[in-house]
Amino acid sequence: MNHCIVLFFQFCKFSVLCFGGGYMLIPLLTAEYVDKEQVLTMSEFGNLCSVAQVTPGPVGLNTATYVGYVNEGFFGALAASLGLIVPTILIGCSAAAGINRWKDTFLVNGMLKGTRLAAVALIMFAVTIFLGMSVFTQTIPWEAFGALFKFERPVLPEGFRVSPAGILICGVTVVLMLKTKLPTTALLLGAAAAGAILSAWF
Amino acid sequence: MEIQTLSRARRLLLLYCSFFRITALVVGGGLAMLPVIEEIFVNKHKLLTREELLDMTALTQTVPGIIAINSAVYIGMKIASVPGAIAAAAGAVTPPFTVILIIASFFPRLDPKNRYLLGVFAGIRAAVTGMILVTGCRMFRRTVRTPLEIAVVLIFFVLAIMKVSPALLILAAVPFGWCYVWWQTRRLAQAEANADASKNTETTSNNSENGEGGK
Repeated sequence: MNHCIVLFFQFCKFSVLCFGGGYMLIPLLTAEYVDKEQVLTMSEFGNLCSVAQVTPGPVGLNTATYVGYVNEGFFGALAASLGLIVPTILIGCSAAAGINRWKDTFLVNGMLKGTRLAAVALIMFAVTIFLGMSVFTQTIPWEAFGALFKFERPVLPEGFRVSPAGILICGVTVVLMLKTKLPTTALLLGAAAAGAILSAWF
Repeated sequence: MEIQTLSRARRLLLLYCSFFRITALVVGGGLAMLPVIEEIFVNKHKLLTREELLDMTALTQTVPGIIAINSAVYIGMKIASVPGAIAAAAGAVTPPFTVILIIASFFPRLDPKNRYLLGVFAGIRAAVTGMILVTGCRMFRRTVRTPLEIAVVLIFFVLAIMKVSPALLILAAVPFGWCYVWWQTRRLAQAEANADASKNTETTSNNSENGEGGK
């Protein structure tokens, strides 16, 4: 029960910090549950995001429900989902009352400017997390690249290589997103099928 | 207006059911829900105008939180005040909550052993990587304009790689944003003052040139 309350407040925190949409949750969630508390492995987190993407509903909510369930069962899932919603309702109710008075003030403008820059950086970081689960076979070993500063060759860990299927599907998805107006559902289903077929070879 | 004919209870029920339907049917969440929201609330029930919906869209992307829940809360708020916001949010949460609970109780650990199932997950992950990449690039182009801003984004990015907590980074970005906006407005004011000053000197020098030419 205690843990449910902790979960609730953790997700309240994520909700308040989540500027710029659901993808922002990825760095926040991996920092908390993969690196710190280790209730999920990185590959589980990746699979979880895959499930969250193909099941209906916002990715953030799906992820919250699952992380809560893994932590503490049904009530954990409930606590995590509520944690994501309650701050939004509170902010929404107070914002709707005073939004016009606050919209163009220095404090709000500055906050939005700063958090947007941080959001861009963190989404780039989310991309590197996902690259380590798709295009590369392992998490990107940033420590190894530290050797570059000493003008040495970075020693990559064994098993870290480019996955041909991953880079192919990722590249095709990017091109299709930029060149066509295919709905995301179609792209995801195509990628799932391609992944299953390619897994026979690689 | 139809809004008067719908009783309060009916409006709450409509909000709950509409957002239930939206999150149950729309895969991908967030901005993908917009067309459906427009269809239900603007075209069919006429509870919102198109302009109100556009304002709402801008607002839901600036306040923190998941865009889907933000939209539910602000539309609920607009149509039936605080109970409306709660009804809409509850409606938006119910389907994904149920679906994920069912999935989670069937697969207690999302670590499949089947080769093809692994391939399916790997394929979706690769596609998601591409999607986040495209979203990130679009966001970068929209928000980052000056070399200084590029530098700041890179610094935040490197700090994130060095395992600085993302929560801390976002919190640190707020005071930075204040300083930055303050500095920008001051520089703008200074540039304007300079421009005025140079305009004045130009006109005076022109005058003196003319004066000399006159001689």
